[in-house]
Amino acid sequence: MGPAVMVALLGTGGGVMAQEASPSPAAPTSSTGISGYMDFHYNKPSHQDGQLDFHRFVLLVAHQFSDRIRFVSELELEHAFVEGLEESGELELEQAYVDFLLSRRFNVRAGMLLMPVGIINERHEPPVYYGVERPLVDTVIIPTTWFEVGAGVHGEIGRGWRYRAYLTSPLNAAEFSAEEGIREGRQKGNRTNIGRAAGTGRLEYVGIRGLTAGGSVWTGLSGFEFRPRLDIPVRVLEADVRYGRNRFEGRAELAQVDITDADDLNDAIARTTGVNPNVASTLRGGYLEAGYRLISGAGFGDVGAFVRYENVDTQFRMPAGYVPLEQFDRDVWVVGGTYWPEPDIAIKVDYVHQRNGSSVVSAPRSFNVGLGWWF
Amino acid sequence: MKRLVLIACAVAVVSATVRSLDAGQPSSPDASEQVVDIAAERFIFTPSEVKTSVGTKLTIRLTSDDTAHGFRIVGTNVNVEIPKRSRGVATVTFTPEQPGQYTFECSKLCGAGHSFMRGVIVVAATSQDGR
Repeated sequence: MGPAVMVALLGTGGGVMAQEASPSPAAPTSSTGISGYMDFHYNKPSHQDGQLDFHRFVLLVAHQFSDRIRFVSELELEHAFVEGLEESGELELEQAYVDFLLSRRFNVRAGMLLMPVGIINERHEPPVYYGVERPLVDTVIIPTTWFEVGAGVHGEIGRGWRYRAYLTSPLNAAEFSAEEGIREGRQKGNRTNIGRAAGTGRLEYVGIRGLTAGGSVWTGLSGFEFRPRLDIPVRVLEADVRYGRNRFEGRAELAQVDITDADDLNDAIARTTGVNPNVASTLRGGYLEAGYRLISGAGFGDVGAFVRYENVDTQFRMPAGYVPLEQFDRDVWVVGGTYWPEPDIAIKVDYVHQRNGSSVVSAPRSFNVGLGWWF
Repeated sequence: MKRLVLIACAVAVVSATVRSLDAGQPSSPDASEQVVDIAAERFIFTPSEVKTSVGTKLTIRLTSDDTAHGFRIVGTNVNVEIPKRSRGVATVTFTPEQPGQYTFECSKLCGAGHSFMRGVIVVAATSQDGR
């Protein structure tokens, strides 16, 4: 005899819908769901013409084979147009995995996986974060959207503690740079080298409503493209906290990338390309953000304002004999607001004031407007 | 200076967090009845574990802090949509007749981490006050 259940729905207007449910367990049924989101931006850097960019168009398709097996995918078209090179745009399979849900504590996942690093990488739908563009830390320190093929385990170990641990293809150190760090090293599941698998994991606490506090690590050997092979150890460490309740939302994130033998890596890249990439041995970035819904629950929607401070240095610590490029030591202040005419639509505006450590190269400032939605 | 700014802001965030915490504990007006509030947001149910006992009428009030989510108790035909933020409450009444663990999960595709939105109702053989 199964549980006796009764379901009632209380709508916004106070109306009640009720249904009597079967007392016996329902047979598992397969189902398919489609969702998606988009990001449409106007960016106006100082001293330059403005630019309209249909930044992201994303479709999610999920299928539940049974109560214990499901498939989730996320296909993203970036910058609206793909012509075979990234300068035009990108068509990316950001997620496509099968989840084998074995128990609350232990589940197995395989396919194209989002790396469980940072606040944004696994939670990046436009209405859920302030700012037209994602934080710079989540761009050049944590290379969101960071996805690789692999397999791993995840679960909740009780009292609000959750974990993920995956083995995936590593980063390609031959693509590292002074400005964007490890970002271009993502293999993105395209016939990836898996000679030395990378490991990544995250432990987070979500036991208090509105609070997520976590730490992530990624480690791998990333010099597989060089001949002779260079085993360049790369490690990413990250910690973050996010708290949102009622009108307030605050976020803090700190991330560091350590590249052992960065001097050997620079030599190898210089031999290959003829250009010294000046890759640092340590990259570091962090940000703090506070947002507040000035208007909440009104008939015409919610209005929020925010401020974010970021410090990002992709030349934080250099290998012996290398001089840091000071223009890549950046401070960023972002102020702006979001209007949600309904919870799944966000109209954003912000102003980005960026400074850097260089007395020669000026940092861009920009005014940005964005429209994002989720369905 | 940068470090001081970061530390000051971190302290402010943590202080606001601590001040804003509420008990969020389930009420239990009667031993055979139990009311629990569960909040949903991408990609978390809070709390994600509810303890009850056989025969207890468990009323679960569901709200969302962002988009619409689903709430499905695996193995039963409980499957409701949780309204979007500020759009109301979905209420489920569930009276387990067998001890064990009942998994609940989001049944509406809600984003990149949809698969993580799971929790469990732990049903003890006897009531929690030992009767």
